[in-house]
Amino acid sequence: MQYLIQLLISGLAIGAIYGLIAMGFAVIYKSTGLVNFAQGEMTMITAYIAWTISTTVNGNVFVVAIGAILAAVVLGLVIERLVMRPMLGEPVFATVMVTIGLAVILRSAINFIWDAYPHGLDIGMGRGIVHLGGIGVRTGQVAVIATLLVLLAAIWAFFRYSKVGVAMRAVAADDRTALLMGISATKVHALAWAASSVIAGIGGVFFALSYDLSPAMFQLGLKAFPATILGGLDAVPGSGLGGLLIGITENLAGGYLGSGMKEVAGFAMIIVVLMIRPFGIFGERDIERV
Amino acid sequence: MRTGDYKQTYGELVALIDSPPVWLWSAVLLLALIAAPYLLNSYALSLLMIILITVTGALGLNILTGYTGLISLGHVGFLVTGAYAYAVLVSKYQMPPLVGFLGAGVVPALASLIVGAPSLRLKGLYLAITTLAFSCIINTVILEMRWLTNGARGIQIQRPEIFGISFDSDAAFTYLCLAIAALTLLATLNIRRSRVGRAFVAIRDNDTAARVMGINLHAYKLFAFVTSAFITGIAGALYGIYLSFVSVEGFPFLLSIEALAILIVGGLGSALGAVLGTILIVLLPEATRLIFSLFSAQMDAAFTTGAQELKSMLYGLVIILFLRFQPRGLVGAWHDIKRAWVHWPLRY
Repeated sequence: MQYLIQLLISGLAIGAIYGLIAMGFAVIYKSTGLVNFAQGEMTMITAYIAWTISTTVNGNVFVVAIGAILAAVVLGLVIERLVMRPMLGEPVFATVMVTIGLAVILRSAINFIWDAYPHGLDIGMGRGIVHLGGIGVRTGQVAVIATLLVLLAAIWAFFRYSKVGVAMRAVAADDRTALLMGISATKVHALAWAASSVIAGIGGVFFALSYDLSPAMFQLGLKAFPATILGGLDAVPGSGLGGLLIGITENLAGGYLGSGMKEVAGFAMIIVVLMIRPFGIFGERDIERV
Repeated sequence: MRTGDYKQTYGELVALIDSPPVWLWSAVLLLALIAAPYLLNSYALSLLMIILITVTGALGLNILTGYTGLISLGHVGFLVTGAYAYAVLVSKYQMPPLVGFLGAGVVPALASLIVGAPSLRLKGLYLAITTLAFSCIINTVILEMRWLTNGARGIQIQRPEIFGISFDSDAAFTYLCLAIAALTLLATLNIRRSRVGRAFVAIRDNDTAARVMGINLHAYKLFAFVTSAFITGIAGALYGIYLSFVSVEGFPFLLSIEALAILIVGGLGSALGAVLGTILIVLLPEATRLIFSLFSAQMDAAFTTGAQELKSMLYGLVIILFLRFQPRGLVGAWHDIKRAWVHWPLRY
């Protein structure tokens, strides 16, 4: 029982990180209709920048947090302006392939700029242990679960009620009609890329806090894929919840079936789910007409 | 006066080789390739081998992604399955290499049924992600089945001997790769002009319309998966023999990306494109190194220390630039040049 609860809690903590990155995927899909295959790499860059800031300013929490968020915003905007905007109006396949190219470039750039060794992000908090019912949990793990839940609610409300959120949905649904209605598609896209970069970046920084930074971190993106597919690509809060589900499944599979199963549990799960609901648990079925 | 290359019957449109100059150039190319092992040094010969092996794999992916329009991010999964099937059959159970090659085709083809079946309901991005999942799962399965695959330790492979002919030397092995690549090229060209190939293209262009025309989507999509996996598996076996060692690390995920890059750079859905794309992508790092070394010794040093990173950055950059400026790839560029040549000084 103790073991099960331990697995569940650490599953929730890593799942919350997947959930944040998965929401990054979903925000871009919901407002531009694209899957950004470079999401894991963007997450990683933000975490590395946070680490660089923390080592140069001696780990002041607020400086690191603000610096990382600003860096994520700039990263999202630059990528949107330089790489994605010229592809506006091209077929989805081409645009998605561009993000794959981007992912390859970013991943190598990280190896080129920083070194290939693991680093701990130490900002003087997040590694303390709190005891919940006899089970030790890192404060960073509690914090990331709380952050995910707050962001889930905020983003749901944003897309549901705010004018900008509705505009973003409109652009994704049909960008030409949205343009006719006076919505600036480019502004919407820029906003989506910046927001997605920040949300996923927060996930990356939390990952670096609880675990370690290393060039293998881009795999977080691959882990967050199942989460966002499970929840539905167009369901932002659903993706967050999908992350929690994947995290728990993975940890239970790893704990009871062996470490090899841990790596594939998420992928096995989405194959099963997609066979039953090809548009995810919370996704909307799209109707096709010839 | 006739001013161009006109096709008046359906037979002319689907002919394998449509004009005498193409015959001539194909023959010249083939002779050059046959002479190559005697003329090239060992480094250039190894590049030629890599090109021939990669062409086989790229043609395999081209059937699935180029003809049928099903994006696969997991083709490295079929490649590694083929390599392991060959290694297990030949190195572990001492089967003849021909049986090994057959197994290297059949095992990935069967595996593709497993990934293809659930993929029938999925399209576009969802399919891409399922194939990605497949390649991750395959790696884990190989690592876990230690009794068959030696787990992470991998399997040694010897160069094969078929019908008493030893392919031990580099030149002989290049001929084997050349024969398989040429056969694959012929096979995929013939698939494209057959009834099946036209059904594939119909599915790519509009699957709902293809279905209305009476094309069995499920059967043809599965057939595309099986053929593509068969060819890719054989390329995997060749690559395993080339490396003389098969392990999961020898087949990184980057190969899937590289294969897609080859198709995009060459021109999606064209066999010629797959060949041109392979040549460009394989030679790209060489060309870059040459240019860097011309500029300065310092840049040359940067290239040797960060060679792997720079190489993959180049892939990314080339993919993006081609998609942005020449989405039809090298084949599209070639058509533009031909048109400009024929119609000059007119624009069209």
